[in-house]
Amino acid sequence: MTSPPDHTALLEARALCFLRQDEPVFGPIDFALRGGEIALVEGDNGSGKTTLMRVLTGMLRPGEGEVLLDGAPFSLDTVAGAVVFLGHHLGLKFDMTPRENLRLAAGLYGVRSGTDENAVLREVGLAGYEDEPVRQLSAGQKKRAALARLLLLPARVWLLDEPYANLDRDGIALVNRLLDQHAARGGAALVTSHGAVSFAGGEPRRIRLHA
Amino acid sequence: MTPGSTPAACAALLRRDLTLAWRRRGDIAMPVLYAVIVTTLFPFAIGPEPALLARIAGGVVFVIVLLAILLSLDHLFRGDIEDGSMELLMLAPQPLALLVAMKILAHWITSSLPLIVVAPVLASMLKLPPEAMPVLVIALLLSTPLLCLLGAVLVALTAGSRRSGMLLALMLLPLCVPVVIFAAGALAAAQEGLPWVAPIAWLGAGLAMALVLAPLACAAALRIAMDT
Repeated sequence: MTSPPDHTALLEARALCFLRQDEPVFGPIDFALRGGEIALVEGDNGSGKTTLMRVLTGMLRPGEGEVLLDGAPFSLDTVAGAVVFLGHHLGLKFDMTPRENLRLAAGLYGVRSGTDENAVLREVGLAGYEDEPVRQLSAGQKKRAALARLLLLPARVWLLDEPYANLDRDGIALVNRLLDQHAARGGAALVTSHGAVSFAGGEPRRIRLHA
Repeated sequence: MTPGSTPAACAALLRRDLTLAWRRRGDIAMPVLYAVIVTTLFPFAIGPEPALLARIAGGVVFVIVLLAILLSLDHLFRGDIEDGSMELLMLAPQPLALLVAMKILAHWITSSLPLIVVAPVLASMLKLPPEAMPVLVIALLLSTPLLCLLGAVLVALTAGSRRSGMLLALMLLPLCVPVVIFAAGALAAAQEGLPWVAPIAWLGAGLAMALVLAPLACAAALRIAMDT
């Protein structure tokens, strides 16, 4: 993997920490993610992985420190679709089909050039299930339907909270393949996991959170 | 429309919310059935004299419509917050206030329009004179979006708490007083053959103000609700 020539980090955290009732949940941590880089956030249950993700999406206000996106302070007003977040709640409407769910995301964020709804659903292995209500899909297939959104949207920064949960061996390979493609396109991704993860393409950066 | 542009985003969100409502059309019928049943209780409770019913018809219909709207308001943002769609909306390139306005519009179409359609039937069950019907419909067309907008702000404010149904009612009903006064005032004036434009104009002014301010307040309140 080669980093692009410019040295501004896509996503950067400086002395970032989050306090809940004056108790630090994590941090202070520093990291910088350049285009083409994937980092793995590791930590035990309760060490603040999900909280870190929510701070990075701008949903939670950091206690101290700051988050920079492309070198500029990050806020929900300036993010302009550059970041996509996939958390424990998948953001899928269970009464709608995977295709309909993608259509809303595409309407909001736009579509990555050279792809479309059918192609991404095939890519994540949901061919034949495009028009089934999400309610009737298995937990792993729901996750795949949410992963299809990552492929379709043009966002450069992926924040994935436990993307491996509920996935079978093929699904885990799929997530790794998606991350590799994303990095090859110059995107950055931050992935949390509490288990051992091995990426296909070499050793990822690791950010360790302590409880 | 290119995907990702503001009109495309508004259309996509509106379409999604209307599709979801259509897939659960039983939920749309609930407030309408509620309004019909409550209206039929009134003649039983206070007696069937046409003069008395005609006098209270306007006020009763407005209050019933208000309560029926209140019933459905609670779901406005809850689904999106619980299934993670709210994060998708908040990180989208479009201003959250605009997207929230689209959600409120979809909610008005699915919750209030059916009520406006049955309201003349309810009013005629209560012997409202036919010449007052157009004023009833105009007053409802202006007051129901106003109620949805005011309600949406409060729903967003209480979105962080678990059981917010009763709290929502306690907070919203006082805010509805001016709406009910102007709407019922216009109808009473029409029934007596007096000019009724002034209270309708006040409703219109209130609606114009709420259209601009309520989505902004909603967006701010939702960001606070997600910050927990």
